[in-house]
Amino acid sequence: MFTDELKAFRRLGFRHVLLQVLNFASVIASGLMIWKGLGIVTNSESPIVVVLSGSMEPAFYRGDLLFLTNPSSEQYKTGDITVYKIPGADIPIVHRVLETHDVPPKIDIRQYTKATKRSKSQPTSGKNSEHDNQLLLTKGDNNPIDDIELYRGLEWLEKKHIVGKVKGFLPYVGYVTIAMNDFPQLKYALLGGLGLLALIQRE
Amino acid sequence: MARTKQVNAQNNGSQPSSSKSNGTGVEKARSPSPDASDRPLGPLSVTVPAYEREEVKVNNANLTELKNACDDAVKRFLSRPELFKQQYLHTDIRLALGWLSVFVAAGTAFYGYKVEFEQSKPVVTIGLVLYIILTTLSTLYAYFVEGDTIFVGKRKTFSKRIITERITLSSSSPPLPKNTSCPSYSVSLQYVRSTNGGKTLLGRGRTTGAAEYSRFFDEAGVMDQPGFEKWVGGLVESAMDGKAA
Repeated sequence: MFTDELKAFRRLGFRHVLLQVLNFASVIASGLMIWKGLGIVTNSESPIVVVLSGSMEPAFYRGDLLFLTNPSSEQYKTGDITVYKIPGADIPIVHRVLETHDVPPKIDIRQYTKATKRSKSQPTSGKNSEHDNQLLLTKGDNNPIDDIELYRGLEWLEKKHIVGKVKGFLPYVGYVTIAMNDFPQLKYALLGGLGLLALIQRE
Repeated sequence: MARTKQVNAQNNGSQPSSSKSNGTGVEKARSPSPDASDRPLGPLSVTVPAYEREEVKVNNANLTELKNACDDAVKRFLSRPELFKQQYLHTDIRLALGWLSVFVAAGTAFYGYKVEFEQSKPVVTIGLVLYIILTTLSTLYAYFVEGDTIFVGKRKTFSKRIITERITLSSSSPPLPKNTSCPSYSVSLQYVRSTNGGKTLLGRGRTTGAAEYSRFFDEAGVMDQPGFEKWVGGLVESAMDGKAA
C-alpha cells in the first residue's frame, strides 16, 4: 500500500520528506498554540471543558462542552456557574455559586478558609490585588447538599481555586472527548490517521 | 535529436578561428542576446537513457496532482548532471522558519504544562507572540518572495572563461481559456548568463509557454515524459538563445 509513496519520497529527496513532516508538525503546533492562546486570552487554565457528571442537570448534561473565562477583575455572584479545582484533586468540578463573601485585600484570607486551626494571623501574603478577594460556597443543581464534602478540608473556595465562569456551552460535542478518554485506541487511531493524511498529501 | 547534436558540435568545434569574427558580429547586431557560439549545453542535447525513467502516473482529474507531476518532471529534467544545479534557498528558508516555529510551539506548550498557570503566563505569552511572528513571516515569504517559483538553477561552465548561468522557472495552472476544455500548464523562465564573477552580463532571456495538460497525460493519467521534456527543453533553449517570447 505504501510502496508508491515510499518510491515517491526516495525520488523527491530528503528536503521533500522534511517538508511533509513539517506539514504534520505544524498542524499539531498550531493546535497547541491555539489552545494556549485561548488560555491566555481568557485568563483561564483550561478554557474549554467537558461535563462528566450529571450534578448540574437540567442545566448541563454529561457530554456538554463548556466555554470558560476568568478575568482577574471578576467578582463572582450568587448564581454564577463556575468550574473550580481543589488542590489535590485531579478533576475540576462545575457547580453553581451559592454564597459569596467579599474580603478586602488587606485582611489575611487564610484565617477564614481553614476549617481546623485558628492560628494567629500570619503576615499577609504578597498578593495585594486591588480587587477584593472572595470566599465562595458552591452546590450542584442536582445535588441535595452543598459542596463542603468535596472541599477536602477547606471551609470556603477562594478565587485562586476557580478555573473560570461558564460563558457558553455546546451540547453533546464533549462526547468525543469522553470516548477518546475511555477508549485510548480511538485517540491514537485518530492521530495516526491525521498524521498519515498530512504526510502523504501535497498542497 | 541527431541534428541538434550536430549543430552544437559544429558550434563548439568552430571555436578557435571563425567564431571569433562570427561571434563579435552577432553580438553587435543583437546586443542583449547571448553569443550563440559561446552557448553552453542546452537541456535538449543531454539525453536520458530510457531505462532510467520511472513511470509517473497521477489522477488526471486532480489539477494539483497534474501540476505537481509537471513541476517534479521539470526539476528532474533540469537537475541532471551536465545541466543546472538546483538552488534550495527558498525551500531552506521555508523549512527553517517552519521548524523553528514548531520548536517554539513545542517548547511553549511544554513549559505551560510543567509550570503552574499563573506563573507561566508571561513566558507562554512571549512564546505565543514569537510563534505568530514566525508563522506570519513564513507565509509572507512563501507568498511574496517565492510566489510561483518551482525551480532555481545555477551552472558554471568553462569554455574560454568561467560562465555562470542562472535560471528561474515558475509555473501555474491558469484558469481555462475560452475555447478549450482542458486546463493548461503555463511556465515562465528567466535566464541570465554572466561571467567574471557576475560582473559582466553575457546574455539574458525570458520565455513563457503554455500547453494543455492533455498533451502530456493520457486517459489513464500516465505522463508522457519525453514529450514533456522536449517541450520544456525547447523553451529553455530559446531562453538561452535570448529570445524574449
